[in-house]
Amino acid sequence: MKSSLTGNDNYLENFHPGAIHRHARGKTVTELENVQITNMVMNTAQSHFNEDIMTRDPRKHRLVYGGVTASIAIGLAAEDTAENALAELSMDKIRFPASVFHGDTIYAFTEVLAVEDSPDRPDAGIVTFRHWGVNQNQIVVFEGERRVLIKRGSHWQDK
Amino acid sequence: MNNKTDVVPDFIEKAVLWEKGSAFEDFSIGQIFEHHWGRTITEGDNALFTTLTLHYNPLYFNAEYARAHGHPGVVVAPMLVFNLVLGLTVEELSEGGGAFLGADNLTFHTSVYPGDTLTARSTVVDMRESKSRPDRGIVTWHTEGINQRGELVVDYRRANFKIKRKA
Repeated sequence: MKSSLTGNDNYLENFHPGAIHRHARGKTVTELENVQITNMVMNTAQSHFNEDIMTRDPRKHRLVYGGVTASIAIGLAAEDTAENALAELSMDKIRFPASVFHGDTIYAFTEVLAVEDSPDRPDAGIVTFRHWGVNQNQIVVFEGERRVLIKRGSHWQDK
Repeated sequence: MNNKTDVVPDFIEKAVLWEKGSAFEDFSIGQIFEHHWGRTITEGDNALFTTLTLHYNPLYFNAEYARAHGHPGVVVAPMLVFNLVLGLTVEELSEGGGAFLGADNLTFHTSVYPGDTLTARSTVVDMRESKSRPDRGIVTWHTEGINQRGELVVDYRRANFKIKRKA
């Protein structure tokens, strides 16, 4: 399989503990993401898809489901931090400090917390990331840690 | 959009609400839920989720690439696995008001492929009063997502505010 299918700047060797990255794209959350994914995964909480009932709630509008917020924030970070991943291993400390509504735009930031060898894969290593999702007003709407098995460029690049 | 009418249909007046969701008082530590429905994940679910969330790892949308990495075909995006399992738990656990506070200790144990069927079960692991909101408490569940062979595919702890019935 050609290594040209994925990037050359996001192998294990490219991650250094303490580095903080700002990811290039943002995404405006609409019904397309929130209502569709909430319904697709059969999350039955109607605060995510019943605008009428939310007009009688102090928040006034449908809330974006946290799973959608987390998935978009991690997705915005994915080309840089998951494109050369062999496996997603774990997540921790997932929090939603502020609500997200349709029309809000999410941007993603990532800190590299740790880079380790893999106990059973010499061709890959484990990176621990802290991700943040931030809205258009620079308010944090998602944070969480993520451990990922990422290819070593020494084994996979230009093969 | 139609305007409000003065003539409310008779059946609306007579109808009894068939309630959904739960309150803080409905939970006790150690209680186990085998959740409803289950869900077979399709190629369409996975392609839609991965592209809408911009999750650009070819394992999830390039079958040739996935096969070259030892998989039988495309892999289901782990974030979709997490969301599908969580979705199956909502009616019994978190529906009925109260914010999703967070999730911890989430582990992806094994790969999921289109055609796999997931079910979910949860155990109540913690219940606390809220210091800031006397009208609600905080419930923490340990949830497991299981495939059609009984293998654990994902597990995590989730905490939510739950509104109290007698506030």
